[in-house]
Amino acid sequence: MTYPVTLSVNGIAYDVAIEPHRSLLSVVRTEVGLTGSKEGCDDSECGACMMLLDGQPVNSCSYLAVQASGREITTVEGLANGDDLAPLQRLFLEEGGVQCGFCTPGMLISATALLSQNSSPSEDEVRLALGGNLCRCTGYGNIVKAVMRAADELPA
Amino acid sequence: MSTVVGKATIRADGVEKVTGTGRYTADLNLTGQLHAKFRYADHTHATITRIDASKARALRGVHAVITHEDVPDQKYGGMVQDRRLFAKEKVRWEGDVVAAVAAVTPEIAEEAASLIEVDYELLPPVVDFEASMAEGALLIHEDWESDSGDESMGRDRNTLGYSTIVKGDAGAAMAGADVVVRNRYVSDCSQGVPIEPRAVIAQWQGGKVTVWTSTQVPYAARAGVAHTLQVPESNVRIVVPLLGGGFGAKCDFHFEGHIAALARAARRPVKLVFSRREEFVAIGHRREGIVIEVETGASRDGTLVARRARLVLDKGAYCGEGGFFAQMAAMHACGPYKIENVSVESYLNYSNTQPSSSIRAPTAPQVCWALEQHMDELARALDLDPVDLRRKTLIEDGAEGPTRQVFENLAMKETLEQAVELIGYGQELPEDEAIGVACGWWPCFGAASGAYVNLNPDGTATIVTGAQENGTGAVMALPILAAEQLGLQPEDFSLLYQDTDAAPSDMGSCGSQTTFNSGRAVVEASIDLREQLLDAASSELEVDRGDLELVDGAVRVKGAPDKAVTIADLAGSGTTFHGKGSGDVPEAPACETEGCVGLLGNESFLSPQLITHAAHVKVDRGTGVVRVLRVAAAHDCGTIVNPIGANGQVTGGVVMGVGQALSESTQIDENGRQRNPFLLDYKLVTAADAPQIDIAWVETMTPNAGPKGSKGVGEPPCVATAGAIANAITKVIGRPVRRLPMTPERVWAATFGEEE
Amino acid sequence: MARQYFEPGTVDEALSVLAEHPGADLVAGGTDLVVGARQGKRPLGDTLVAIHRIGDLSDLSETDGGGLRIGALVSHAELESSPLIRERWSALSDGSILVGSPATRNAGTLGGNVANASPAMDTGSPLLVFDASVELTSTDGKRSVPLSEFFQGPGKTTRGPSELVTAVDVPPRPVGSVGSAYVRLEYRLAMEIAVVGAAALLALDGGGRVVEGRVALTSVAPVCLRVPEAERLLAGADATEETFAAAAAAAGLAAKPIDDVRASAEYRRAMVSVIARRALERAHERAREAA
Repeated sequence: MTYPVTLSVNGIAYDVAIEPHRSLLSVVRTEVGLTGSKEGCDDSECGACMMLLDGQPVNSCSYLAVQASGREITTVEGLANGDDLAPLQRLFLEEGGVQCGFCTPGMLISATALLSQNSSPSEDEVRLALGGNLCRCTGYGNIVKAVMRAADELPA
Repeated sequence: MSTVVGKATIRADGVEKVTGTGRYTADLNLTGQLHAKFRYADHTHATITRIDASKARALRGVHAVITHEDVPDQKYGGMVQDRRLFAKEKVRWEGDVVAAVAAVTPEIAEEAASLIEVDYELLPPVVDFEASMAEGALLIHEDWESDSGDESMGRDRNTLGYSTIVKGDAGAAMAGADVVVRNRYVSDCSQGVPIEPRAVIAQWQGGKVTVWTSTQVPYAARAGVAHTLQVPESNVRIVVPLLGGGFGAKCDFHFEGHIAALARAARRPVKLVFSRREEFVAIGHRREGIVIEVETGASRDGTLVARRARLVLDKGAYCGEGGFFAQMAAMHACGPYKIENVSVESYLNYSNTQPSSSIRAPTAPQVCWALEQHMDELARALDLDPVDLRRKTLIEDGAEGPTRQVFENLAMKETLEQAVELIGYGQELPEDEAIGVACGWWPCFGAASGAYVNLNPDGTATIVTGAQENGTGAVMALPILAAEQLGLQPEDFSLLYQDTDAAPSDMGSCGSQTTFNSGRAVVEASIDLREQLLDAASSELEVDRGDLELVDGAVRVKGAPDKAVTIADLAGSGTTFHGKGSGDVPEAPACETEGCVGLLGNESFLSPQLITHAAHVKVDRGTGVVRVLRVAAAHDCGTIVNPIGANGQVTGGVVMGVGQALSESTQIDENGRQRNPFLLDYKLVTAADAPQIDIAWVETMTPNAGPKGSKGVGEPPCVATAGAIANAITKVIGRPVRRLPMTPERVWAATFGEEE
Repeated sequence: MARQYFEPGTVDEALSVLAEHPGADLVAGGTDLVVGARQGKRPLGDTLVAIHRIGDLSDLSETDGGGLRIGALVSHAELESSPLIRERWSALSDGSILVGSPATRNAGTLGGNVANASPAMDTGSPLLVFDASVELTSTDGKRSVPLSEFFQGPGKTTRGPSELVTAVDVPPRPVGSVGSAYVRLEYRLAMEIAVVGAAALLALDGGGRVVEGRVALTSVAPVCLRVPEAERLLAGADATEETFAAAAAAAGLAAKPIDDVRASAEYRRAMVSVIARRALERAHERAREAA
């Protein structure tokens, strides 16, 4: 049977009726209609689906959508301020941290979560924080550089 | 002097990718769309005796179930046509598709697929691809002789391809050599693993089908649909939304035919999205396992007098587009070295496992890994430093290749010097650390391509190209080439691409060929447009066109920049300006192939890309765990058009090479099934494990190169990494690791076990 | 199949749901249950009970006697960032940091991890060397089961179908200078699953002798397990490299590893000795620092 749930995604409330076994990823991509978050694996190893739940990163492919009701969900679509890219988004482009772009939404979410908790991470801390986001194109170096630069730009 | 070539530019598809607004195939949905699931083979080698889909068809929500009976009886394949969309008499590997279902939800489609009854007579799976070529071995394709294909393949029963490279008299030279070293190496098969699992949507409107698909090769996909469904190519349109990586795994025609057939049967749009498990198991596209036996004779001073090698490659169940592997592997068993006498033979054998097809520089990383370890073993036997041995033996201008191709303007040795300098070769290191070096090469592939450059009335322009962007940025860099010809900026161009109805046929994103071939076409089309603009400006300004130049968005008189007309004014004048071009495909370099068989076009290397990697590693001797601390990568890829893109290819390729070296292996069970089709157990390198990478480009003007003297960039970066890591590991543990990947267990076994 | 979903706000509510629906699937962060279903290991059950909103299961505190009480919903991330855990229960901190990615650690809970009973769980052998027990609660009341008895096999525990894991209780540490550590054989530095893991706890007397030593292993048997053979060699011995090597060798002999896609039994067995020894050495360093 379906359950009525209100999901708050990027500050907008969505009333949806969903079966309880549905993943947050599936509901956000289908009922909510935001396809920025990606499905890249079956075992929560790749991180392409990552979203923030009350500011904390979760793999939305293995999180039940019903459990997210009443919590603030942030997806990659919620990172920019209107047409103004968030610093991480801009720096990913400037540093060449984007190639095919499929891991990018999850990477940006992971990096956003890291910088909200640690405003001056070391390179090793950045690399460990991004450990759950697999990228096959870039070799990670330019992504790590972008995150380090974004940390430098954070207001002191 | 160019104002745009070689400058860092931000990719045009960047904003949509960082904001999540870009659409990949799986992000699309069509009104009335159904969902597809496949019924795969239940056995890896069996004769099909009965297929009954009646229960599946009766399931509520199912709109179509199709098998081989519902499509034309057409075989397909690259160099050999040995495969059908749907298995007919036999299944030959676990991913063979027996039937396809379209239903209103993926869950119903899945259930219906499981309700299809398929009866089999089991056959013993042929998993050992060395044994499969033995006399009397069970045939995987009984009717191999009737399969149409390239006559020069050297097919013989379970051997799909046989190639040799013969130069001089290797036997006599080996017998007379001061030192002879002989080794055997074995590489597991592995995978491309794009992070986007593939997706296909097909919709028929009248007699014409549009297929949105995550392919690297839209024109090959179009040809595949047209051939297997027996419709003209003009009735098939392939559109590729954003492509989430490929690395070769999305080369070749794959599932577009199945889904187009399903959509036609269901009279509805049909969507297929693969799970990660399917992306491992069901695609006919992995990196091949290889057994590599190599023997080299050298004189005391290090001169290579003879090379013999025998290679056996695992083709898996079908040819796909990997028919050329035997010859390609043979060329890599020679490597970028001066060798006086050569005798290499190379077999490409069928087995009841997943088909092998091009994954980023097919055959090269494995053979290079073996050969470069072998070169280090030879250096030890000669009591020479491995770098000194390479200094003496690598090719240089005027040197002769394994088929007597004569090389000009190449910087193989310079890449060696740059790499060893970058890494600090010879420095004092702790006893658990070492530096290893490996060299390799990879050819450019000449192919036809065509482009249009259309000037818009406001003076901006649109490039129409058949090139396919797989993430590398190669297509994103095409405006750089056009801008330079037209005195515009890269931002002045939009791209119409990844739509087979828009642009002339193109090879797609494979063979590192986009800049090389599609770039050439864009340059030619831009020159055509430039000529039209010069003609128009010449009339407008009443100046001889020889005195005009295109600079900063205007056509102006040389030496009198005030006398000018802007391109925007010309564009808005009511005349239509549209350039088109293709350019001449560079010819393969001359070579001598007397005595060689299995000639498939790789017997000489066009504009070879040259590679030296040096790896600094740390080995935990107790556990065999290897950490790669740093890699220095020096490449001769000719002129670098787009530094962000080129550097990104190296960093990504090296990290893929680290994975190949240490952890990436598809394990096969005794029946030919994959044992680890998940990302937890097929281990990609993570951000935490990726090494620091230092890059050097040695830019040369190689004859027959691409635009501006460019060569390919995409594939070479993963070729030499595993070899460099292997040689570093051997220095720490004192023994070679002759299995790839060099997992902790294998390193540990090499350290403490009996020497092989 | 229609599924029922319950979202109790209190332990009592959860227990009544479980009493009515014995064997219902309990879900907190979903990192084992939902991932397992997606992978095809086991489909989600027809009745789902989400316990993530139960406030009084999130307590992480030191008990009066110097022990530890960890509510079932305490996440790996909370364990990882707790100074208390890092300083006094170091092996558990070591293990928590190694679980999955930051996202996994944020969503995954200790209660779920324990109830899932994977032989590869990184918190399993640390909790074993701390003599932890699991608090199981049902409408019939509470019972406490030592972790060593709780684990029955891969995915199998002594939890009854209407019982809820409400907490993990850890008794006070042994007397003396105590150090503990968990070391895992890591193919990669992130996103790994244990192929071999070992936890060690050492309590030293003023003279540097081992008063009590405990060793537990991850991923080399159907359950995480303690190794009495190694512990007997440690008790009363001088804390020397030889002692640790002997105990680690005993651990290697006690392991019952299997061949699988991740490693051969032979390699695993050899690695048990290597990793157990490293865990003992690290625990020893920490015990000396604590002295």
